[in-house]
Amino acid sequence: MKFGFVRVLLLIAALFVAIPAYAEQRNFFKIGVITELSGDLVTGGNITKRGYDLWAQEVNAKGGIEVQGKKYPVKLVYADAQSNPAAGAAAAERLITQEKVDFILGPYSSGVTLAVAPVVDKYKIPMITGSAESPLIWKNKFKYTFGTIPPINFTGATSIKTLTEMKPAPKTIAIIGSNDAFSKATAEAYKTAAEKAKLKIVKFSIVPSGQDMTPLLSAVRSMKPDVIAFGGHDEEHVKFVKALKQIGYTPKALLMHCGITDKAFIDAVGKDGEQIFGTTCWTGTAKTKSKVLWPNAAAYAAASQKAYNNPGDYTQGGCSAAGIAFQTALQKVGAKPGMDEAMRTKLIQALEQIDVQTFYGRVKFATSGEFYHANVGLDPLTVQIQGGHVKTVGPKASVEAPAIYPMKEWKSR
Amino acid sequence: MMELLPQALTDGILLGGIYITIAIAFSLTYGVMHVIDFAVGEWIMFGAFTGYYLNKWTGLDPFLFLPVIFVLYFGVGYVIQPVIHRVLSGTKGNPFLMGLVFTFGLAIMFRGLALTAFGFYSNSIPSAFSEGSFNLEPLGLTVTIPTVRLVGLGYAVAITLILHYLLKKTNFGLGVRALAQHKDAAGLMGVNSKRTGSYVYGIYVGISAMTGVLLGCILSIGAQMGNEYTIFAFFVVVLAGMGYLAGVPWAALLLGLVQSIFMIYFNPSHTLLAVFAILYIILLISPRGLFGKGV
Repeated sequence: MKFGFVRVLLLIAALFVAIPAYAEQRNFFKIGVITELSGDLVTGGNITKRGYDLWAQEVNAKGGIEVQGKKYPVKLVYADAQSNPAAGAAAAERLITQEKVDFILGPYSSGVTLAVAPVVDKYKIPMITGSAESPLIWKNKFKYTFGTIPPINFTGATSIKTLTEMKPAPKTIAIIGSNDAFSKATAEAYKTAAEKAKLKIVKFSIVPSGQDMTPLLSAVRSMKPDVIAFGGHDEEHVKFVKALKQIGYTPKALLMHCGITDKAFIDAVGKDGEQIFGTTCWTGTAKTKSKVLWPNAAAYAAASQKAYNNPGDYTQGGCSAAGIAFQTALQKVGAKPGMDEAMRTKLIQALEQIDVQTFYGRVKFATSGEFYHANVGLDPLTVQIQGGHVKTVGPKASVEAPAIYPMKEWKSR
Repeated sequence: MMELLPQALTDGILLGGIYITIAIAFSLTYGVMHVIDFAVGEWIMFGAFTGYYLNKWTGLDPFLFLPVIFVLYFGVGYVIQPVIHRVLSGTKGNPFLMGLVFTFGLAIMFRGLALTAFGFYSNSIPSAFSEGSFNLEPLGLTVTIPTVRLVGLGYAVAITLILHYLLKKTNFGLGVRALAQHKDAAGLMGVNSKRTGSYVYGIYVGISAMTGVLLGCILSIGAQMGNEYTIFAFFVVVLAGMGYLAGVPWAALLLGLVQSIFMIYFNPSHTLLAVFAILYIILLISPRGLFGKGV
């Protein structure tokens, strides 16, 4: 009887020893993905998922990531952050401690990223977010967190500069932001850029997320600003355009950051989306060249169109580029699945050193300063919706079409 | 800034109109069935998507489909109510709590279903009413009234009057009121509680679905849109007094006005804080709602 009990104990102990051993012996990279697959930010979360999935499909179609002559496929393990920072942090714990993932592809929103970053720092697991843009993430200098999309305070000034070059130049601006980490940062970035450009700010307001902004816009209308700039997410963009149209106020320019670059926004608002300006760092027509996976932006857009019936926007592209950044760093250090802490530290060092041209443009992470670990290799673009397509209208070196300014009145569309 | 006051009041009233449409049927169903239906926002969402697809397939104005949507969702509500009734009429545990959990579960399930069926993108329902607005100029001040929001207010007033008529002037309404007051006594007087409950729940689901179409025209639609409307429906009904139907329009208008005035004259980021603060203060003074007539 006693012998039997000892045998059971030994069996359990063997199992505990065997599980990590199995994990280390796997012949594929197990990658955790934390993103918003439910809740208010479900649209953005699913766009990030498309970006990560497309990268994984392309890598696996080529046999996997080639490290020292051997190819290792990738397997994505998803965890739903539920658009809730606390749920995101819990998901990170689970992916790291139970799923024992090699590294993590990060959330859509800045709020969830800010909650997940301390967890990946604690467990020393590298994470690249292909979406989050709040400057707060990079100011915190999380050692294990990187991002492929430049922070909004890096990109925001470009669009304001483009607008100030219009003729007749705008003189006044009203800036509104939704009260979440990214949208608030967007509004603040526009404010800083507008102050530098000597635009008179007639209104600066942060409003609770998801609110009906009609009363606020009625007040803005009475100030007759030349430009209205808004920081928000997809659903709020649609509401914002409809509210402006309902109160019958057409500013000379309406600037709404990068959410407008997704085809779904254009589909949702139709002709009312025409001539809206946005800030981005990538479009499907960007002039990029790469030797990794997709040769250029157009090839990526075509692959996305085939997979999702949507050419993909800058968020989706940023997520696929996050995968490429990991891929490049893994090859650089010769890392294999089931990395130990020493190898993960080497991977972090490799990520800090990589300087790679991708379909998304250059990926080069800053290693110091306020943009620490954010991608500073890209050039911000000002875009405008023209004829149902996103066209680059600034800066001058990247122009695809001249900007249409001032905007056509809502009622005469 | 005082020149903005007429616009602020107009916006507040129009916003209040939207809140009436969200909360009025929710209040009715609580008054009769004593269930807080956490799925109210999801019924609104389903109605919005039904209007969206009907418009997309036929090209006709979504407002033309309101009767069809009402009948369709009345049927859905009529069929589902007996299940909720069964949960609520249990003898073990706490049926009221079970009802809450049940509708909460329904809401989560509906949200998941919608995400799978309709996708994750936000959308908008186009309507001829969404296009225009007209200006009034009282005392030299310009007040803009968006047509679609005015239609929304008209819809809210119409629904309120119809429900009022139904409850006060018909035998069915007499039965509903009797059921709301005392279920057992109403049963003894010949009111079929199961069937009446099914009718009431059907009416509630039908009205909520029609409201979804209206909200899709005014604002936007998405698979996750329901949550915020559930919260606002709950606030309005609590402020009005739980189950006190006549208080709903006033509570909704008060919330709309507070929100509008606060957004224009104070810090917009604290708008919801102001709404909550007023709600708590009123409930502190009058725990049974604005008029002290809630359950």
